[in-house]
Amino acid sequence: MLSDRPAAPIQRVRGTNDILPPADARFRGLEAGLRATFEQFGYQGIQTPILEPLELFLRKSGDEIVARMYSFAHWNRRLCLRPELTASVMRAFVDDLQGHGLPLRLHYAGPSFRYERPSRGRSRQFTQVGIELIGGAGPAADAEVLHLACAGLESVGIKRYRLVIGHLGAALQLLSQLGMSDHAQGLVLDQMEPIARGRVDPEAAVARVVDLLGGGTGSANGRAPEAMPSALASLPPEQATAIATDLLRRASLPIEGGAREPRQIIQRLLSKAQRPDPTDQVRAAFEFVAQLHSAAGSPDRLEGELRPLLEARGLRTDSIEEVSAALDYLRAYGPLADDVEVEVDLSLARGLRYYTGLVFEIYVDSDEGPLQLCGGGRYDDLARGLGAREDVSACGFSYGLERVDLALGPGVATQSRRVLVVGVAADDHPTALGVARELRSLTELSVEQDVRLRGVKSALRYADRAKIDLVVIVGERERADDTAVVRNMHTRDETRVGRAQLLNAVRGAFA
Amino acid sequence: MSALRLAIASKGWEDDTLRFLGQCGLRVDRSNPRQYRASMRGLPTGPAEVVFQRATDIFEEVNGGSVDLGITGYDIVAEHRSEEDEILVVHGELGFRRCSLVVAVPEGWVDVTAVSDLAEVAVELRAAGRELRVATKYPNLTRQFLYGRGMTYFELVEVSGAIEAAPALETADIICDLTSSGVTLRENRLKLIAGGSVLESQACLIGNRRGLLADPERLEATHGLLELMEAFLRARQQMSITANIRGESAEAVARRVLANGGVAGLRGPTVARVFPKDATEDDWFALTVVVGEDVLLPAVESLRRAGASEVSATQVRYVFEHRSWTFEALKRQLHGSADGILEKTTAWSSS
Repeated sequence: MLSDRPAAPIQRVRGTNDILPPADARFRGLEAGLRATFEQFGYQGIQTPILEPLELFLRKSGDEIVARMYSFAHWNRRLCLRPELTASVMRAFVDDLQGHGLPLRLHYAGPSFRYERPSRGRSRQFTQVGIELIGGAGPAADAEVLHLACAGLESVGIKRYRLVIGHLGAALQLLSQLGMSDHAQGLVLDQMEPIARGRVDPEAAVARVVDLLGGGTGSANGRAPEAMPSALASLPPEQATAIATDLLRRASLPIEGGAREPRQIIQRLLSKAQRPDPTDQVRAAFEFVAQLHSAAGSPDRLEGELRPLLEARGLRTDSIEEVSAALDYLRAYGPLADDVEVEVDLSLARGLRYYTGLVFEIYVDSDEGPLQLCGGGRYDDLARGLGAREDVSACGFSYGLERVDLALGPGVATQSRRVLVVGVAADDHPTALGVARELRSLTELSVEQDVRLRGVKSALRYADRAKIDLVVIVGERERADDTAVVRNMHTRDETRVGRAQLLNAVRGAFA
Repeated sequence: MSALRLAIASKGWEDDTLRFLGQCGLRVDRSNPRQYRASMRGLPTGPAEVVFQRATDIFEEVNGGSVDLGITGYDIVAEHRSEEDEILVVHGELGFRRCSLVVAVPEGWVDVTAVSDLAEVAVELRAAGRELRVATKYPNLTRQFLYGRGMTYFELVEVSGAIEAAPALETADIICDLTSSGVTLRENRLKLIAGGSVLESQACLIGNRRGLLADPERLEATHGLLELMEAFLRARQQMSITANIRGESAEAVARRVLANGGVAGLRGPTVARVFPKDATEDDWFALTVVVGEDVLLPAVESLRRAGASEVSATQVRYVFEHRSWTFEALKRQLHGSADGILEKTTAWSSS
């Protein structure tokens, strides 16, 4: 039963927004503009579910993003709201599109969700608009994606921005050269971005990663039976395991681990004790990241600074060549706008772990510092990781639609042309409906019908408040002599016109 | 006049809570021990209404506004918080029911000594097609903790009954549960691991934001409650020492005592003239000073060196400062903006 007391209002969820008019029209216009650019290049639209299995993002996206997901169990199925669309699009590709000829060009737009501290330009629900170029390998494909990212922004009127291009090849190579495990590599990659942006002190990042890896002198990781495992290290693994198991049994330490086999436990114990302290490795990795970052700058630094840096470390230089080639192709698409700044930074990491090659981000300056509008790159392992039959090269990017809107500012509200048709009394309503129908079918105007039937005065009051441009009034008299009154709400002029001239009169008012 | 409504926990919590309130000078009168309502005396604003509830229900009762304040475990508050709740942590450290939420693993996992090992074990299990199963009644805190340690491959298991038994029963691999002494964990052949402490908890006082804002009388009653709790908690482990010291003047006595060190008290000693029974001994002074319990004997020794004879010491019951800091903080919280969940859950954690 309803009581007289008004029910408490329901608050929207923190970090989400209602997109009200006229912002909604603006957003849809922006999305349409971006998609139109993509379609000019042969991209086709795809839609994927907002709800995905949690597993999709556990596989390859990395801890940083998984920790910020909205995930939950529903009837024992572990689900999440997608934090981004690339993994979803690739899942759809693996599901249904593998037989199609490559390359496959797809564009998409839709809400994504991340549980982060809301701030300017960062909501927990946001709209990603982007593309994926599946089956495109090498700099030619990278350049198409880069060009589209720029062309999209320029098509909606953003012509002053900074394009930062990186490549994960160098860092990934160094990490495997250092002999780091996948787990350790992932942790280092997660910290690369905050370090390069100066958000995290490098020593603090080293300490954190070492702590997460369970090494280092400062760590509380007790290495109790250390002497024993190092002595066992020289023996063949089988024998070492047998001896260790026996010793621990004699010391009445029960090696039973529920689901874990005693063998596994002992083997891990032995391998852990033989592992070197990761501190030096991690520090070396971050030092390299810092060097890469300080060598960042205009594209000529690729040859001048970055190539010698990689060569000094004995690293391959394919990343330099790929970025150079992509930049050459990008320029061949046509000149970039005058106010576009291009920067290369091989320490750029994107906070998503599936990237493997060229990566990039686009920023605009704002009063409150740089605003990232776009990010993307190459992810050649993702399809395989999600179950594709073979390796599929792919790259893509997405814009944050709300941020693109923020960068454009409120701008000029698009002039929608609005007409209200009013019947003077209830008897006049059917005639008024006919007038409205006629106007809708013959013009592009937005034609509203008065449905409250409270008379002309009330309708005009509404028209004023709702910023209606033109009101067409039909009463008993107008029905009798087949006319209508057209009232211009801006000039307050009223004219009586014959029904046959109504269309011209309305069009004339907007001319 | 609307009475302040305070929820306190029944079952295992009741004795500790009533003792604490009693020590603060607040007496809970229950006509019948089986009743779940009672009245609490000792506040200048008049009697408050007390409701007995389960510790885990108190959060919801305060959040829903059926009571204004509640005393429950910080662990429960941290687990049940949401960004849009009406809960304020009015006092986070009431000093009793201390315990820790910890991750514990089977003793037999000799290779696991720290949380960092768990990430590897999780990866190892996943490679074998299984997830690391964590039994807990604290899914939110556990998930946040493991995520923060770079772990994403795990599954939280709801267990009815004793959490500590889950690994032995093989319904889970490890647990995340409350412990105070660690005895129960050891009895179940579980061990703590380095870096495995998720949250330090103790009893805390929570309040309903909207309720306290809407009713100045209840807010004033809360003020009185906080004055008493804060002054009692501050007074704990404080001793008031009175010593008789001979000297030429009060100033000289004070100088001598301060020069000896160790007995400065909260602000400085109070020295007053003693009027002796025997008129010939008119150079005696009484010195009063408040010191920490842990330095009682050194303080006595220092006074002796300054010439003190009889020294008496009493437990201090309350120490009031010039205002109640927790009440000031409450007013700021009431009029401030709502914080995010991340700030909320860490605001009072004393790690």
